[in-house]
Amino acid sequence: MILETLRIALRSMTSNKLRTFLSMLGIIIGVAAVIAIVSIGTGARGEVTSQIANLGSNTININPGIQRGEGGRISRPYTDIFTLELGENILNYSPAVKALVPVGQGSALLISGSTNIRATVVGTGPDYQAINDYYPELGRFLQHEDLQQNSNVVILGSEVADDLFGSGDPLGRKVRLSYGNRTHIFTVFGVMEEKSMGLGGNFNAQVYIPITTYMQKVANTRYVDSYTAQAGSSEEAKIAVGQIEYFLTKSLDGSDKFRLTSQDQIIEVIDQVTNTLNIMLGGIAGISLLVGGIGIMNIMLVSVTERTREIGIRKALGAKRRHIMRQFLIEALSLGGIGGVIGIFFGRLGAVGIARFGGWAPVVSVVSVLLALGFALLVGLFFGIYPAYKASRLDPVKALSYE
Amino acid sequence: MIEVKDMHKTYFMGKIKVPALRGVTFGVQDGEFLAIMGPSGSGKSTLMHLMGCLDYPTEGEYWIDGREISSISDDRLAEIRNQKIGFVFQQFNLLSRTTILQNVEVPLIYRGVNLRRRRQLAKEALEKVGLGHRLTHKPNEISGGQKQRVAIARALVNNPAIILADEPTGNLDSKTGQEILEIFTDLNSQGHTIVLVTHEKEIAEYARRVIELRDGRILKDEVVV
Ligand SMILES: Nc1ncnc2c1ncn2[C@@H]1O[C@H](COP(=O)(O)OP(=O)(O)OP(=O)(O)O)[C@@H](O)[C@H]1O
Ligand SMILES: [Mg+2]
Repeated sequence: MILETLRIALRSMTSNKLRTFLSMLGIIIGVAAVIAIVSIGTGARGEVTSQIANLGSNTININPGIQRGEGGRISRPYTDIFTLELGENILNYSPAVKALVPVGQGSALLISGSTNIRATVVGTGPDYQAINDYYPELGRFLQHEDLQQNSNVVILGSEVADDLFGSGDPLGRKVRLSYGNRTHIFTVFGVMEEKSMGLGGNFNAQVYIPITTYMQKVANTRYVDSYTAQAGSSEEAKIAVGQIEYFLTKSLDGSDKFRLTSQDQIIEVIDQVTNTLNIMLGGIAGISLLVGGIGIMNIMLVSVTERTREIGIRKALGAKRRHIMRQFLIEALSLGGIGGVIGIFFGRLGAVGIARFGGWAPVVSVVSVLLALGFALLVGLFFGIYPAYKASRLDPVKALSYE
Repeated sequence: MIEVKDMHKTYFMGKIKVPALRGVTFGVQDGEFLAIMGPSGSGKSTLMHLMGCLDYPTEGEYWIDGREISSISDDRLAEIRNQKIGFVFQQFNLLSRTTILQNVEVPLIYRGVNLRRRRQLAKEALEKVGLGHRLTHKPNEISGGQKQRVAIARALVNNPAIILADEPTGNLDSKTGQEILEIFTDLNSQGHTIVLVTHEKEIAEYARRVIELRDGRILKDEVVV
């Protein structure tokens, strides 16, 4: 009986394929949108979270604040405020901060033999490793003695090591580092592991020297560019932000002289963005499903009118209301279901395309497919009820004489 | 078996009353071959719809197999139509998208007969009207006379108590019409009760009893010898 009804439904749908397809278009778009959204949402989120994890965990970046441009002056970051002592004081006066490293950086030319490349020189300290979850693959990283003695020790990022020495062993080799108009000789003591590129930039294209050497010999400054602090957990990171803020506001005499960026904040912002995006796309999906439903209702009403006589004949031959109702409901459900399947196909296609574009693995979960199909069927059912009810209530005599 | 008692049917077109039947009384026994005659608009089709349980009378009673239909539900009426009544219409009224065999199966579907038995019964009914060899054709691939045979097979398939035919030869040429009428005569001699609506005297002559309607009332009700 059900099978029979399904056959009738399919036959009536295939009798006018273009019309059937057009009336399913809304459902197709809606379902494709649902599939694509869920896939893009999970894919993008996964990508972003892995990038954030790449930054090291529970870190807080402390950067100079932006000076307001007044009276024609261009706004630019404050300079000459972050000293090494200030960094130590932040660590000492903010109990929730577990570790802190100063960072000074600039662009330099590195020369070895006849090869030279431009790289970012990062002056920092030993804790840089743990904070960024970034360790040497060969040799060692910077040590406290290097900082105390202002040694000319350099640790190379993996790309830099490759570019300068190729397959040769860089350890113990001399590198000339040209910064501004002065050149220094450094000895390579280590090569860092490869770190995948994330929100923190490309670590592999940097070289690392003691912050003291950087300040006193290379850049000739008494100030560092920024600090990176780390807390023990994400809860402590929140507390640490408050403590650093309090301490710096007092010691720098103003809260506009520095900026704090914690991972939590980044995650929050990204969450907000993805949420907004999801709400938007969800809205599109919802609206197209609604429009799709109305499309189904419309085509079903047309179908009921066109088949008034058939309904009359079936009633004369003994069809009860529920038989007629069932026939048209199954037809509406089939419209929703087939539209849903086509939509899933296009949604997958979209998800795969966008995933390729965004550089993450396409995830089309079973749950999202079932969800979308469920929605499509539900929409078909819901918007099929009224036409089916109308059909089931037709007066047999009038239906039979319908021209 | 069928009792029509002072039956009235009034149609309402907006506020205007159109009385189609104004007090009709008669009975039909098992195995009868009855013709209902009358000019256009005299209420023949209206009477047939009521006898076929497609509609409720406005007034009066209609008894079929010991039950009065005024008080029974729509769905129960559908059951009665399915099991006790076979319709044959002037416009054939076949389902155009399905094959002849499937057309004949429809009453069996609503009766809940399983597929195998349905196939078998539908084939048998089609063989009875001489169409056992065209089962897979669609209605638009066969002639008018053949369509009407399919309709008769469909009316027969549930073995109903009564077959109601409203101008079954109205869309056929006289030779084909005669063949159809022969089928009805055959069926009647096999014991089927037949009610034939027509406005032609020659056709009514096949019947053994003629009721003549005029303006919604019975003018004559006589047995043909
Ligand atoms: N659905 C309806 N609404 C209003 N009036 C109707 C309706 N059906 C029939 N009538 C009227 O009822 C009267 C009887 O109609 P009916 O169809 O029973 O006549 P008939 O004898 O079958 O005529 P014909 O030989 O032309 O088929 C006519 O006056 C007709 O106009
Ligand atoms: Mg008529």
